[in-house]
Amino acid sequence: MTTVISIHGLEKRFGSTVALDGLDLEVASGEIHGFLGPNGAGKSTTIRILLGLARPSGGEARLFDRDPWRDAADLHRRVAYVPGDVSLWPNLSGGEAIDLLARLRGGTADRAAYDARKQRLVEAFQLDPRKKGRAYSKGNRQKVALVAAFAAPAELYILDEPTSGLDPLMEQVFNREIARAAADGATVLLSSHILSEVEALCDRVSIIRAGRRVESGTLAELRHLTRSSVAFVHVPGQETAIEGLEGAHDVVVGSGRVQFTVDSDRVAALLPELGRLGVQGLTVAPPSLEELFLRHYGDDPAMLAGAEATA
Amino acid sequence: MSPTALLVPLVAQRIRRDRIQLVLWIVGTAALALMATAAVGSTFGDEAERESILRLTLLAPAILLFRGTPNGAGEGEFAVFLILAFLCLMAGLMNTFLAVRHTRADEEQGRAELVAATPAGRVLPTAATVVHGVLANVVLAVAVAAAFAASGLELAGSAVTGFAVGATGVAFLGLGLVAAQLFRTSRSANALSVALVIGAYVVRGIGDALGEASDDGLSRTAAWPSWLSPIGWAQRTEPFAANDLVPLVLSLGLAAACIGLVFVFQSARDSGASLLPGRAGRPSAGVLLSGPTGLAWRLSLGAIISWAIGAAVAGALATTLTPLVGRIGADAPAIAETLRQIGGPDASLEEAFTVTFFSMVGILAAAAALQAVIKARQEETHGTAEPVLATPVPRRWWLGGYGLVGGFAILVVLGFAAVGALLGALASDDPAASAENALKSALAQAPAALVYLGLALLVFVLLPRLTIAVAWALLAAGAFFGVFGELLGLPDWVHDLSPFSHAPLPVAGEVDWTGGFWMLGIAGAAIALAVAAMGRRELATDG
Repeated sequence: MTTVISIHGLEKRFGSTVALDGLDLEVASGEIHGFLGPNGAGKSTTIRILLGLARPSGGEARLFDRDPWRDAADLHRRVAYVPGDVSLWPNLSGGEAIDLLARLRGGTADRAAYDARKQRLVEAFQLDPRKKGRAYSKGNRQKVALVAAFAAPAELYILDEPTSGLDPLMEQVFNREIARAAADGATVLLSSHILSEVEALCDRVSIIRAGRRVESGTLAELRHLTRSSVAFVHVPGQETAIEGLEGAHDVVVGSGRVQFTVDSDRVAALLPELGRLGVQGLTVAPPSLEELFLRHYGDDPAMLAGAEATA
Repeated sequence: MSPTALLVPLVAQRIRRDRIQLVLWIVGTAALALMATAAVGSTFGDEAERESILRLTLLAPAILLFRGTPNGAGEGEFAVFLILAFLCLMAGLMNTFLAVRHTRADEEQGRAELVAATPAGRVLPTAATVVHGVLANVVLAVAVAAAFAASGLELAGSAVTGFAVGATGVAFLGLGLVAAQLFRTSRSANALSVALVIGAYVVRGIGDALGEASDDGLSRTAAWPSWLSPIGWAQRTEPFAANDLVPLVLSLGLAAACIGLVFVFQSARDSGASLLPGRAGRPSAGVLLSGPTGLAWRLSLGAIISWAIGAAVAGALATTLTPLVGRIGADAPAIAETLRQIGGPDASLEEAFTVTFFSMVGILAAAAALQAVIKARQEETHGTAEPVLATPVPRRWWLGGYGLVGGFAILVVLGFAAVGALLGALASDDPAASAENALKSALAQAPAALVYLGLALLVFVLLPRLTIAVAWALLAAGAFFGVFGELLGLPDWVHDLSPFSHAPLPVAGEVDWTGGFWMLGIAGAAIALAVAAMGRRELATDG
């Protein structure tokens, strides 16, 4: 499998501010790669470097094994981009903006095919292409950018929080278009902080924080890094047995249920012991991305809990 | 809270928001009044010279389009003739912008919704805008009256002048508020308002020009079109002569009618809706919108047309007014001397006159080119350059497109000036010579304007954040030193810093193009350097 995006030790400084601090990122051809991080982690800076809109201060970024700064125009023939905060030309209609961007990308060479794709997308996203750019709401501006991106096929889709402002129905339409692009063999870099979207769509995930990658892998691999949560009905008198369970952490007994977490690779070993206790109403939940996320962004879980309590 | 109590914070918020903008408008208008009243003494000499200038308007009533109705040659009357219509124009623009800013623009941006959700409701904010606007006009009236009085002019006449300007402002406040009810976007509302203000200015200019002059040629009764315009009403007060406030009843009556209408509309319609439906755009793009240059052209077109219309008017005036020039030499030696200094020592008075007008055309052409570059900068900060540069458009082509449009804008503006000059020359004694002179003068301004295009592109690439400020500052400095440097007695080297002082001038029938070729070379080098350097520049999106 070839590598589409390859970033090593990437640095970007704005004066004394460090936006990227030795970032690594690998995205293989044909994969949908989730790019996760809180606001200010450096996601958009990374994307701007990949698009040749900004130059790295250090390290290396390669796109299709070429230099994204020097070969920007050439590389962009293969790329479609959706920004997170879409600005449109106030006096151009949405339809005009879509056509302009598609023409610039060379996606209108096959006129009939382009028209059909545009028509299908405009209907699917329920967009009125006759409105002027200044008249669109945030969600509708986002739709214009999405239709422009999907209306002309690309090898790589770079999407920077593409669903911000979309309603759940439109998110479904977006998910379908991503699936369609992936089925055609396209690669997708999906920057997001909507975890359910990443869980639903992505093959692999990279989590970045303060300009560095803190985690990368398939969702299954990442889940091994954290604990599953276990809960069952509390029967008085079992407390000592529960405390003695090997691998159980953070045991909480209360409001009729027992809850604890366990290292994901120890869940199987724990089940026979629970069986011996005869527990009822047992649930074992794999760690969600949210927990992964919190683990990396909440510096100190105790502090997070404290913040929640006072909020 | 009672509505009156709610009005206080709404008005306070408006004053706070406009505190710099309105001060600039009012101080600027008063400064204009002060400059005009001061000029009466210094530039236009004594009463005899003022009389001869007023009599010139008999020969060329077109001058009245830019001045006012003459009402005598006294210092006060002459100052009013020079500047009152301009002051009313400023008041009109200040007020329509104010009206739209606090009503339609707030609705369009969704800010009005925040306020409408409080007990203030949908209608009270408009009442607050009326109060705010009237207060601003009171201050404006006092400032203008003070400016006239400060020049030692009679107090009553100064007060009437101030009142006339303030009342005109209130009339346009009403018109601006109506425009804001009509359209869904502040841009359309502002466009209609500006058209109304300029229309009022031109209509009363036509009425004045068509009017009947008195036997001594020193005053003039305006024809009926002047009575259609609030600016015309202000002139009918005849400050310093009749000092008659009655015509201002029309201004205040118009304002009252407009404001009444606005409250009817405002209480009937939804928040955010408009009386006229918004115009839909095209569902797909035309052929022109296929590349970065087409986009740059589309985005710059409106500005280019405005500059070109201004240039056509300047060109037409240059040739229409030429017949007058011979008389100026005889009747008003001070003005003749001024013109000769701009044109250079060897120029005939007619040539000097044409050159003066075409220097202005050159400034307009440079301004049109600067706006193309400024548009590029606005695209960069607004975030719309990013999606274009994320397509296979190289950075150099992207900027090159704006450079190309800027160069084309210069040609369009100069072309319009030449066409205007040709039309104006048809009436002259020697149309062929007049037209040739105008065409050469128009072409002669191209190199200076191109130098500005090159400089602006360089600033855009090297100091992106300063593009807009530096570009306008360079143009203002060049226009000032180039056109007025000699008049002010500045040293030659300061004067020579301005591209406009190197424009090839048709002097004594000959044109020396050397300066033009030098400037073409400099412009070409600057443009090439800027476009090449753009290949190495990051997108600078922060303001």
